[in-house]
Amino acid sequence: MSLSSNSSMGQAQKMMVFVLSMSIYGIATLFTELIPSFHVGIVEFSVEYFLFIPLSLAMLLSPLSAALGAATGELVFSEIMLGQFGGLGEVEKFLTVTIGVYVAGRMVRNPLDRKMVGFAAIFGVILQQGMGCIVDILKVVLAVEDFEAVPGLPESVFFTEGFSFLNDVLFSGILFCMLPTMYLVPKLYGKIEPLLGMKPRDEKTAFGGEKLFTPKVAVLSILGFGAAALFEILSESGFELVDWEADWAESGPAYAAGIFIGFIVLAVAIAAIKRNFESSKRGAGQ
Amino acid sequence: MKKLSENILDKISIDYVRTQVLKNAYGNDDTPIAKLDPRTLLLWYLFFGFFPWFANNVVLLLLLFMFAAATTRLAKVAPLVLFVFCLGVFSQTGYLLIVSLFFDGNLSTIIPLSVLTLKVATVSLASITVFSGLDPDRLCAGLLYFGCPDKLSFSIAFSYRILPVLMEQFQNILFSYRLRGRVPEKSGSFWVVKNLFYQIKIIMLSFYPLMLGTAKRSRTTVEALELKGYRHSLSNPEVRRIKLSHLRFSKGDFAFAFISLVYTAGSILISSYIKL
Repeated sequence: MSLSSNSSMGQAQKMMVFVLSMSIYGIATLFTELIPSFHVGIVEFSVEYFLFIPLSLAMLLSPLSAALGAATGELVFSEIMLGQFGGLGEVEKFLTVTIGVYVAGRMVRNPLDRKMVGFAAIFGVILQQGMGCIVDILKVVLAVEDFEAVPGLPESVFFTEGFSFLNDVLFSGILFCMLPTMYLVPKLYGKIEPLLGMKPRDEKTAFGGEKLFTPKVAVLSILGFGAAALFEILSESGFELVDWEADWAESGPAYAAGIFIGFIVLAVAIAAIKRNFESSKRGAGQ
Repeated sequence: MKKLSENILDKISIDYVRTQVLKNAYGNDDTPIAKLDPRTLLLWYLFFGFFPWFANNVVLLLLLFMFAAATTRLAKVAPLVLFVFCLGVFSQTGYLLIVSLFFDGNLSTIIPLSVLTLKVATVSLASITVFSGLDPDRLCAGLLYFGCPDKLSFSIAFSYRILPVLMEQFQNILFSYRLRGRVPEKSGSFWVVKNLFYQIKIIMLSFYPLMLGTAKRSRTTVEALELKGYRHSLSNPEVRRIKLSHLRFSKGDFAFAFISLVYTAGSILISSYIKL
């Protein structure tokens, strides 16, 4: 995806795609966050997410910018604005959405080919949901002490996660991602590009050139998923650390003193980092 | 079922969402939390967002939860945000509990799950306090100070400004689709479901014009930014210094940090003597 293969895609255009994907997907997630799900029997009907928006944009425009924009939009609109920001755990969602949308966007070479568009859309959803599902299971396994020993918990976790995965793919995936994408992509093709000041994408300017999956994309995706899982688990793996702490922190006062020292170390470290940072910046500026 | 569908349609009322979100973002500049320096709050969040995950003592977690709840109260967070918070906490752990009861779980399953719930609740409350208590510009300044990518702080500032415009546009498109469309006839037993699908379909269709409109808008935005040399300013330390020059620590910041420290240390002490 070098710039020379598609010279109409400058830095400014990428920024436009980023802003576009961010604001529209952000608005959409704001709504989906507020629409409660409802149950019919055991099947949960939830408008899980309007992933068709970044999917269409990724297929028509720059996949990476659209993917990053969508993940940022979700983070900013539905997490930070509604005050639901979950710290490290959000990194997992950010990375899985980025990977899912990016891979789907790279798969499509001819946006007018509805079958391919639909297949890529559902593949992106499966990728994103599958990664999320694996991470969710690992999260509970690691966060709950003696996971196997708690009666009924392992089965229920595997059941709920597996079921919600199938549910999301079959219901939200087909209804809210695949069908709208198949409708929107050919309709938007050739209309949205001039508005952003670029040429429509065709066989020659498609990203990735000949190969659908370059090894680079695959390796980056796997690395990204590893990082996503790591962050999610890091954010919830309190138990082992506390076991380890219990050796020296038997007494409360020692623990409290530890906290104080931790605070001081933190403050000093931040001050030092800041001074370094500013001096290096000043050095670079001169 | 009918009530639920009405409930959903109520929630889609865009005016409600818009006023709530804007109120949350800009409506409370005069709370004690909003007056604090963003750097203090972000450091505070760094602690309260991470520490609960590493604590395992129910008393300690309860005390931390109470503290986080008190700060949320001080920040005067909008009711909609709190509602979403409760929904989020329940859907994370409550659902799991109910299902585990089916797989011959018993009441002892509640204890590990309640610890998990307390952790989730404390961390989320802390983030509500910080991210809803601060107005977006101050939040951006704080994030920029700690070296967050400029793109993120730009996104936050831009989102808060574009949100009302986008929502209004979306609402207009939605109204025009409703004017031209035809609601399913109010008869038959499946009317509720039909109506729901109709409404969702309209929302989906509305994104087509919205995408085209926003594409134009984002081009204008980026071109305006280019004219002002935005991309160049990102790499210039002088610009950064000017942007952050208004940040000042005040007495309130020290008081807030001191109270948090004493409270945390105190609750650790208490929790090590009281056993449940």
